[in-house]
Amino acid sequence: MPMVNIAGKDYEAVEEKVELTEGHWEVVNFLREYYAEYQIAPAVRVLTKAIGKKLGPDKGNNKYLYELFPYGPAKQACKIAGLPKPTGCI
Amino acid sequence: MAAAEFDIPEIKDYIEVPKLREGAMAHAKTFLAPKPVQDFMGYPHELADDWKESALEKMGDLLGKYRSLKVFLDACVHCGACTDKCHYYLGTSDPKNMPVARQDLMRQVYRRYFTTAGKLFPKLVGAKDLTKDVLNDWYNYYHQCSECRRCSVFCPYGIDTAEITMAGREILNHIGMGQKYSNEILGKVQKIGNNLGLPGPALLDTLEGLEEDIEADTGVAVKLPIDVKGAEVLLVTPSADFFSEPHVESLIGYAKVFHAAGTSWTLSTHASEAGNFGLFNGNYETMRKVAMRIRDAALELGVKRIVVGECGHAWRVAYSFWNTLTGIGYGADDPFSIELQKQLDPNYPQPQHICELTNDLIKSGKIKVDPSKNDDLIVTYHDSCNVARASRMGTEPGGQFIIPRELIKSVVNNFHNMADDTIYESTFCCGGGGGLLTDDLMEVRVKGALPRATALNNVVKEHQVNFMATICAICKAQFTKVLPKYGFDMSMVGGVHQLVAKAIILD
Amino acid sequence: MSTLTIIYAGLFYIATLLLVVGLAYKIFDYSRTPAPLKIPTTPAPVTQTGVVYRMAKEVVLFESLFKSSKWTWIFGWLFHFGLLLVLARHLRYFTEPVWFWVNIVQPFGKYASIMMVVGLAGLLARRFLVDRVRYISTPSDYLMLVLLIVIGSSGMLMTFVAHTDIVALKTFFMGLMYFDVQPVPQDPILLIHLALVALLMLIFPISKLLHAPGLFFSPTRNQVDNPREHRHVAAWAARLDQKN
Repeated sequence: MPMVNIAGKDYEAVEEKVELTEGHWEVVNFLREYYAEYQIAPAVRVLTKAIGKKLGPDKGNNKYLYELFPYGPAKQACKIAGLPKPTGCI
Repeated sequence: MAAAEFDIPEIKDYIEVPKLREGAMAHAKTFLAPKPVQDFMGYPHELADDWKESALEKMGDLLGKYRSLKVFLDACVHCGACTDKCHYYLGTSDPKNMPVARQDLMRQVYRRYFTTAGKLFPKLVGAKDLTKDVLNDWYNYYHQCSECRRCSVFCPYGIDTAEITMAGREILNHIGMGQKYSNEILGKVQKIGNNLGLPGPALLDTLEGLEEDIEADTGVAVKLPIDVKGAEVLLVTPSADFFSEPHVESLIGYAKVFHAAGTSWTLSTHASEAGNFGLFNGNYETMRKVAMRIRDAALELGVKRIVVGECGHAWRVAYSFWNTLTGIGYGADDPFSIELQKQLDPNYPQPQHICELTNDLIKSGKIKVDPSKNDDLIVTYHDSCNVARASRMGTEPGGQFIIPRELIKSVVNNFHNMADDTIYESTFCCGGGGGLLTDDLMEVRVKGALPRATALNNVVKEHQVNFMATICAICKAQFTKVLPKYGFDMSMVGGVHQLVAKAIILD
Repeated sequence: MSTLTIIYAGLFYIATLLLVVGLAYKIFDYSRTPAPLKIPTTPAPVTQTGVVYRMAKEVVLFESLFKSSKWTWIFGWLFHFGLLLVLARHLRYFTEPVWFWVNIVQPFGKYASIMMVVGLAGLLARRFLVDRVRYISTPSDYLMLVLLIVIGSSGMLMTFVAHTDIVALKTFFMGLMYFDVQPVPQDPILLIHLALVALLMLIFPISKLLHAPGLFFSPTRNQVDNPREHRHVAAWAARLDQKN
């Protein structure tokens, strides 16, 4: 995977620092379920809303997701979940 | 493979023309398309033994089909007027990113094999044999051009490097050197219906979710209908509008406009993409096939109007080419076009840009807006290259500059233009257009955004601008990713209909 | 008849033939090659009259060049309009009686040669001085300017310093036009001047001098911006419609 230098840190090194907690697994599992149903990763908006519905409104926001996945739920969480990254004008 | 790290250019007070640094971007090579991707497109995936003959044969074919290519390769006098006009040259200082030098990569081969002077005196006229080195230069530098046409504005003969880049990519594809990003997307749009690869059920689920969001937010049941037969308007919009931030905000804006105006409208799963990467590849038939999905959807749904959402190159293809490619438009008397014309409402331009539609509705008082809802914003507008230099809105030349600005000014109270030489027909590309919006070209994208970032920085300093509106999915995606590297907040970029969505008054 | 006369007469017949046939072929070739898509650089005129006006501004004022580089524009314009006046002045060697308007431009044409050579010198200097222009310049780009400068200066030399026998010269050219070859005047400066002009005529249709006809065929400049109102289809593209 080609990765640019993000905010002065190396992406690969950061990824290793993520220890998967219960909270991470909730997100990863949702991503995998969504992918199994729709053959594409969910939009960030869909992800936050679904997490909010499932785990309560305090978790259904970008802030919570970014705390779990500091390099972006779309990019980092999808990668950990093993989902192919969607491409297009995005 | 990790992409090489690179320095982020420093923003100066004005856009500086750099000294040449030869080979500065020779390493930037976008990923080649693998076999399955090329197979689907009907292209080989690697060079055959006769690649050179095959390339020259294709070049001859294109020279016979495109007057632009033939005239442009002949007419250049190397006057140098274009040398400081390309954002990629300004951002990278690589001389091969000067428009004329980019053209010369092909012109040298054209002269060698297709002109008397180049056959007799190659050294004298700068003619060169087609070698693997030349081919690699083609691949690298024809993927460092966003086909934005800024050079063509300034050329005394109107030479448009985009035409040469497109021909270059077409030849490269033909001999097995396709670009992964663009060709993968062309596969998805033909197999699934949109560039993103968003299947119908996912799209439906997304739209339902958005309806819930809008109702929760406004208390009004604004709908996002899809595949509704007999609707008046078919809205064709880039699939990024269904998926990405800030794109989605504009989609919400379109829905609110149709709701407020009481116009029945529909999206289409079959034509869930306005974008047409066939343009970037320069392949007429691919572009036609992709565009034909919209004609098919329009016939199937029986709509009377076709409206295009916020997408720059899509608007070029829709406005300039749809009539040619698919008969969406007027003035033709062939059976192919007549079939569609019987259905479309002649009281409206076909296709119509969403900004034309919304601006008309606001001006005629059919929808009401409250610009003070956007009083937290000081707004500037980025003219997207394909809209600015390859299309029009309204009936007058230059409507493509005036109408979006009129629309913005009717929904916001604070608006400032960026510097004159960076807007209108002189606008700078975002740096991600033309099939370059991929992570493997991040260095090219970041550096290519320097002129725009410089112009933006100046209005931020002078007028405290905190929002740059634009009407292109690529611009939005590119800027949200690249501007933070220059220290701007990613949320300061968004669509014009994002502003409309905030200001519109719903019943 | 002297060998020299035969050489020069032959040279001008061949050069004229190749110039006319070469240019005619190129123009034919451009006009038969279709432009399948509407690609005017916008904002563009929405009527045919508007296009004529746009093209006229390009041809007469070099409008696009004016937008891009003031130095190149000044030198380029000086050269081209100097050349135009100089060429007009030269018509007196090919007409009898001399057309009245040629007599009117005659005194201006004399000094226009200075405009022309100054412009050329400026364009040549840019090729050396601006790193970006130096990078894109091929040997032929320099030589073309040098060729024109030598043609211009040899002409100026004969106008202002060492007058040549223009009556004999006119007899030579009128003779060529009526296929009644007369002796070429044996003035070395004139012979150099004439030989280089013939060379210029020879290379015109196979060189970048094709920018002259090319401009008129440039789709980004000569197309009307009306794709929504009028369907524009090339013959090879229209065949695709029949498959649907």
